[in-house]
Amino acid sequence: MKVTLAMKPMTKGFIPIEAESIVPKNFLSGTDLSVWRGNRELRLDEAFSVSVEGSADRAEDVEVVLSGDTCRLKRVGEYMDAGRITVLGGIGMHCGNFMSGGTIEVHGNADGWLGREMAGGTIVCRGDVADYCASGYRGGRKGMKGGTVEVFGRAGDFLAESLAGGTVVVHGDAGDMAGAEIHSGTLVVHGNCSRPAANMKGGSCYVYGTARGMIPTFRKVGTVQHEGRTLIQFTGDLANRGKGNLFVKDYEYLD
Amino acid sequence: MIVKDAVCPFCGCLCDDIEVEVEGNRVVAVTNACELGMTKFMGEKRMKNPILRDGNRWKDITYDEAIRYAADMLLSAERPLLYGWSGTHGEAQCVGVHMAELIHGVIDNTSSVCHGPSILAIQEVGHPGCTLGVVKNRADLVIYWGSNPIDAHPRHLSRYTRYAEGFFLENAFRDRKVIVVDVRKTETANIADEFIQIKPGGDYAVLSALRAIVQGKVDTIPRTVAGVTRAQLVRVANLCKSAKFGAVYFGLGLTMTQGKYKNIRNAIELISELNRHTKFTISAMRGHYNVYGSNEVNTWMTGYPFGIDFSRGIAFYNPGETTAVDILARKECDAALIVGSDPAAHFPRRCLEHLADIPVVQLDPYPNATTAFCNVQIPVAVTGIDAEGTAYRMDGVPIRTRRVLSTDYLSDEEVLSRMYALMQEAS
Amino acid sequence: MTELLVKNACVIDPLRGINGEVMDIAIRNGKIVEEVSDAAEVVDARGMLTMPGGIDSHTHICGTKVNFGRYMSPEDMRAGRTPRQGAMHATSGYSVPTTYGNSYRYSVMGYTTLLEGAMAPLEARHTHEEFSYTPLQDTMANTLFDGNWGILEAIRDGDTKRVAAIIAWTLSAVKGFGVKLTNPGGTEAWQWGKNVTCIRDPVPYFEVTPAEIIRSVVEANELLHLPHSVHLHCNNLGTPGNYTCTLGSFGLIPDLNKKRQTLYATHVQFHAYGGSGWKDFCSKSEPIANYVNMRPQIVIDMGQVMFGRTTTMTADGPMEFNLYRLHHDKWSNHDVELETGSGIIPVIYRRKNLVNSIMWAIGLELALLTKSPWQCLLTTDNPNGAPFVKYPEIIALLMSKRYRDAEFATVHPDTESRVPLPAIERELDWHEIAVMTRAGGARALGIQDLGKGHLAPGADADVAIYPLRIDEVDPAAEYQKVIDGFSQTEYTIKRGRVVARRGECLVHGSNATFWVRPKVPENYDMGKDPDFIEKFDRYYTVRMRNYPVQDEYLTRSRCIETEADL
Ligand SMILES: [Zn+2]
Repeated sequence: MKVTLAMKPMTKGFIPIEAESIVPKNFLSGTDLSVWRGNRELRLDEAFSVSVEGSADRAEDVEVVLSGDTCRLKRVGEYMDAGRITVLGGIGMHCGNFMSGGTIEVHGNADGWLGREMAGGTIVCRGDVADYCASGYRGGRKGMKGGTVEVFGRAGDFLAESLAGGTVVVHGDAGDMAGAEIHSGTLVVHGNCSRPAANMKGGSCYVYGTARGMIPTFRKVGTVQHEGRTLIQFTGDLANRGKGNLFVKDYEYLD
Repeated sequence: MIVKDAVCPFCGCLCDDIEVEVEGNRVVAVTNACELGMTKFMGEKRMKNPILRDGNRWKDITYDEAIRYAADMLLSAERPLLYGWSGTHGEAQCVGVHMAELIHGVIDNTSSVCHGPSILAIQEVGHPGCTLGVVKNRADLVIYWGSNPIDAHPRHLSRYTRYAEGFFLENAFRDRKVIVVDVRKTETANIADEFIQIKPGGDYAVLSALRAIVQGKVDTIPRTVAGVTRAQLVRVANLCKSAKFGAVYFGLGLTMTQGKYKNIRNAIELISELNRHTKFTISAMRGHYNVYGSNEVNTWMTGYPFGIDFSRGIAFYNPGETTAVDILARKECDAALIVGSDPAAHFPRRCLEHLADIPVVQLDPYPNATTAFCNVQIPVAVTGIDAEGTAYRMDGVPIRTRRVLSTDYLSDEEVLSRMYALMQEAS
Repeated sequence: MTELLVKNACVIDPLRGINGEVMDIAIRNGKIVEEVSDAAEVVDARGMLTMPGGIDSHTHICGTKVNFGRYMSPEDMRAGRTPRQGAMHATSGYSVPTTYGNSYRYSVMGYTTLLEGAMAPLEARHTHEEFSYTPLQDTMANTLFDGNWGILEAIRDGDTKRVAAIIAWTLSAVKGFGVKLTNPGGTEAWQWGKNVTCIRDPVPYFEVTPAEIIRSVVEANELLHLPHSVHLHCNNLGTPGNYTCTLGSFGLIPDLNKKRQTLYATHVQFHAYGGSGWKDFCSKSEPIANYVNMRPQIVIDMGQVMFGRTTTMTADGPMEFNLYRLHHDKWSNHDVELETGSGIIPVIYRRKNLVNSIMWAIGLELALLTKSPWQCLLTTDNPNGAPFVKYPEIIALLMSKRYRDAEFATVHPDTESRVPLPAIERELDWHEIAVMTRAGGARALGIQDLGKGHLAPGADADVAIYPLRIDEVDPAAEYQKVIDGFSQTEYTIKRGRVVARRGECLVHGSNATFWVRPKVPENYDMGKDPDFIEKFDRYYTVRMRNYPVQDEYLTRSRCIETEADL
């Protein structure tokens, strides 16, 4: 079953729409769903032109395609457990939060908190992601616990904060504090980033470019070969009695 | 008439030993207050009555009309923002929360542009703190980190630290060491026993290094960290460990610089580490006299200290998304009520552009920068001058402000309660 | 005049000796009366279990430390959010709910009176502010005196009357109810990062011992004729082998009061540990309960631990730091000048953890081994052992050996060799539960004469009607029915109004606050004592005139005046 949701132009164009109902399994029982614009409840078809092709008995067989200006559409795919969501443009905050299965593909850019507290499944973003991609919630101990997030563009600050499982790969650069407080899991940044793995407790963080503002409390272990690259291996963060591994191609201290 | 033990409604020190001399219902002299407090008590040129924007002019309106305008504006909004709250008393803040809950709006206070990051850090690792008097009576080491009390909290040094008497200190001035950590040599640095100058953006690295050094892991630390020599870091770590009672007071120099809440988290974790060796506490130098009260009120009523979004009925908290600066910059609200703050004086230009596009009502005794963005402004009594009410000091101690003048102005609480009553009728 | 008639109620009212009698309850203007007119509104209880409103004699719901527990825990706040609906405001939080959250959930469980377990005098105004946002219960606050400098000095000088005078001034000033000692002496030592290990350890600088503090404050409390006894959180909480310290503290207490106990020892589960370390950690509930059985002057509460996530918060700062070093999660501490301190950390009690399993057993054992339910009240030291919403499960565990066995089968397997619980056959009955959850609390707090904890004419019309037919339900077997029944009243009546019905709160309400004003002779009025005033001005950072809590902070003031023997 393929559900196509084409965003209608909104009169109050700047107020975000929260659409946690847009999850593949919900469409098994029709399209009588609602979304919220600020404090107003809207029927799904007030916000979108809705079309459905085919039918399905299980969420795995449902694909939701979002088109139009969806940059302010929040919480799409929240608690998604199966199926597929394809976003042709950009997507608003909190896409794929708490996701445990299925696939979300975003062709444009994704706003903050993409895949927050994700437990499983796959998110692919072809564009850039804003801050807190694959992170946790305020005050929580654990961020993302499982699954995969792959970003082909750049990532903002606090990428994979408190990562506790799963894999996060960013092909471009990442911002400041990438992989802060990692407990376990793997973060890979193909480009440069600033202050990676600060206060890390465990897990692995790879930076194939340069780590700027390198945290001074990592101990250098030596060099290792990794997928055809020579990387410098550190362990830390000693300040946090951490035993994580940080691999970087180069690094610069703020000395 | 002299009012004794008045409470200064300026900064988070909330000094409560002020003497205010009143003649003919005007403040004529203020004793004990700092310059900032004095100016606040002597403040004049209040707005006389509510005003409504009428094209390019202002029109006088009644309180009833102004309150009705605000209620209608908020009721019809899809995502109203209720912002400010740090410059008013707790009782008014409580009404604000009820209002936000009723109209499904967003309520945020000035923390989001000052110590919000400190709160986020506390939410990650907790907060080893104490009341100001504990430091006054015990601390033999005080560290001001990214804060400059001589400028922003002038009496902090005389009431609680450098120049204060302390029960357990024989000669407090001599026995109490003061360290200042900053990116430039501030006035406070001039009266310190030790000054640590950090390169901008380097606080986090220095804090990490200190944590490791306190654990005895000196060897890994590079020779200099963000402009600070390892030797100085080792010396400071030893000073901290050998203190009987240490206290850190940090300001926006740590909170609002690169890394923001991670800086504060790192500082708190340093203090937790030091508590394995001796007694240490850490606290934020809160700005507005009742910003902490606003955090407290919001917390007991909604569960969260600031940035609370009731759009969906339940409270949702996500600073960076549900905070005023972010909402305005992204144009995500369609009406604003401003109480007890002056966002136009502090917010980035992008935020003000949106503020100019939406209806705005402000409660404030004085014309201020935000007035230019208002559709309606309602003058109110000033808490601590012509209104009483509760304020929370930077260390969480609640004090009831005194009324030193009596005027006909309604308090924030009274205006808001009337607004709330209209909203309850309508919904 | 508003009248209400509760018909066909199956009443258990232990203070009046009523045990399962079907009767009507007449209410006029918020009070129980002999009879009402025909115009009275009628609530038909249809034979359901009806008791005086619940009284929690030790809980943490309001004030600086509780609010800090919320402030630092957005992850707890999001667990349990409800929107504004009808008369109910929005709520947030699971282990430390917002004030409305606490008030609604307690009300739905039939609780109408709450004692906040710890209030720092300097921050009392905060507690009272939160009380007024806890509208469906009457409230009162234990006031902390464990590290009060004036009191420590008076004890050092051997001047018990001055101790009493300082307590009198402070209680009146901050509108406090009872005298609380939390780790006496330890909270002062903690302001140097130190602690006292047991009752014979001197407090740094002041050179008095916890034993001396406990003894003289108990005497002072009785000199003031306060309604409640001293409320003690013993030294050395949470450490293996601490039961000897607890017994030592109990041994200090003479029987000084005919109407009630002389010492209320709180959350004794945390103080009934054997072993020399965590490896041989075991239950010492038996010696503790045996001791209490022989000492009518002592009342304890359970401090039951239930499995799951919660937040610990206490004035016992050093203990919280030790817990933090064990769990390495977040840690907050807040020392209060010249008075006391507090600490907060989140914890998870796990069935798979041996120590946690033993703790769970100890609380139940205390309740089952203490012969008189009047001497062991039901608490979790909310939220320290568990959030109060777990009370129905605890009631069911106490009433059903079968339920206990079923639960026991799921805890750490080594628990059996460390605790006496599996051998205990006792099952409490409905009457005993009524004592432990209301009548006993009223007597222990000394508020039965103020119309709390019973349904005699003149009493406050606080009534809980549970959807339970005690003649039909066998609690030993049908424990799930017991849990469900106590989780949600059919009706909760507060001050003569139905405030909650089947899980929904119906009115906004407004609380009354009980506080104590002991009358002392002029020469014991600390407000006029030059030495007291001088020290206050020099070492507190708040002016003495700005310290007392103003009347504005009490929604309804229930001041209890006592005549002091000074
Ligand atoms: Zn307690």
